Amino acid sequence: MSELNYIRFWGVRGSYPAPFGSHLRVGGNTSCIELRADNHVLICDGGSGVIPLGNSLMAQQGIKEVAVILTHYHWDHISGLPFFVPAFVPGWKVNFFGPGDNKQEIERRISGQMVDPYFPVEIETWLADINYLTAHENKFEYGPFKIECFNVHHPGSTFGYRIEVHGKVIVYISDNELSFIDKTIDERKEELDQEEWQLIYAMQLEERVKALDVIRDAHVFIHDAQYTPQDYAKKRGWGHSCYIDTVEFAMDASVKNLYLFHVDPNYNDNAIEELHRASVKIVHDRKSEMECHIAREGLIIDLDNL
Amino acid sequence: MANDKIPTIVVVDDSATSISLYQFSIEPLAVNFIGFKSPAEAFPYLQEHTPDLLFLDIIMPGMDGLTFLRRLRTLAHQKNTSVIMVTSKDYAQDRYIAKQLGALDFVIKPLRFKEIRELVCKHAAVVPVDQTAPTPNESAENKSS
Repeated sequence: MSELNYIRFWGVRGSYPAPFGSHLRVGGNTSCIELRADNHVLICDGGSGVIPLGNSLMAQQGIKEVAVILTHYHWDHISGLPFFVPAFVPGWKVNFFGPGDNKQEIERRISGQMVDPYFPVEIETWLADINYLTAHENKFEYGPFKIECFNVHHPGSTFGYRIEVHGKVIVYISDNELSFIDKTIDERKEELDQEEWQLIYAMQLEERVKALDVIRDAHVFIHDAQYTPQDYAKKRGWGHSCYIDTVEFAMDASVKNLYLFHVDPNYNDNAIEELHRASVKIVHDRKSEMECHIAREGLIIDLDNL
Repeated sequence: MANDKIPTIVVVDDSATSISLYQFSIEPLAVNFIGFKSPAEAFPYLQEHTPDLLFLDIIMPGMDGLTFLRRLRTLAHQKNTSVIMVTSKDYAQDRYIAKQLGALDFVIKPLRFKEIRELVCKHAAVVPVDQTAPTPNESAENKSS
């Protein structure tokens, strides 16, 4: 009997953990996703969700190596790493990748949270073989995973990832403010003369096509859907998307399955289920074939059955 | 002694249209213009040359503009190069990083022709053109009529 190849959500919240009784149907841990194929484990982000994932890996036979690819180094994406047990255990190998010009910079950024007075032990207590991966022209491979990183709209250097495995495309963009340039151009539209408008409009289209091309035809698209329109109006420029923009963008790119991710920790289960209902209605009204889901902690997607 | 060297303006932006926008804007000025579509394309040139002003986009394929600037500053001849970040990414953290890396300015797209010209004149010691001078398209129309 063959092993299951899958994606599993271990943490789906944005910003900070939300371990509240009213939030547990969706889940309270911050960003962490496990991709498993041919007994290789690729982990996207090390938010608090990586803690139960690490504990689960320790209980399994046959896995002694993982790769952790980080979108960026904000706390909700790395705060679980100081409690990721495999990193502390000799005989394990943990490969890291994330934004940074070289391995030393990636190491410095990961280890920065494990220093006095913020944490009792430093990264030297990681007794596993810690390795830092490098990309060539933004691409690298880990086991069966072909991984490409790209820059997205979020404060500081932040990556999205396009991952191909078993003929399937998974795009993971945890933090991204969609359509930012469109809104900025709209604000200045009246000032522009005709020649400027022609060029700027062409630039806007060019940017849009490039952004869509990265995710086009993805089997699984996991994307920031942090805010309702009401909250986005108050938090524009914070680096996150309104769920409506996410749904529309995914349909424009002919995505097959959208997972609304990095939801706001202030939203309880009922609020997120309402957000999901509204998203499904948008898909229905556009007569799109896209499936729209809420990323829930513990949810497993069969990679070979997409 | 007067410096009669023609200033060189370099733009690194992954949008071909954006590069055209710069080119159109500064066409009336007495400057050399070079555009690159990625940090990877620009880096060999910048290893050898120091522009008078460098416009850097942030979100690009490959290395982002801030990481690229950090790398450029490790080159002795680029430590003090005048750099302006021009981006659609308007975040305080990016502004802070750009300032730490010695960027002179941080401006948000879209920019008008005259705004680009003003930045070039201000930061590359270029004499401003007569504000009544024709725009590039007006010049082209005159030539063709």
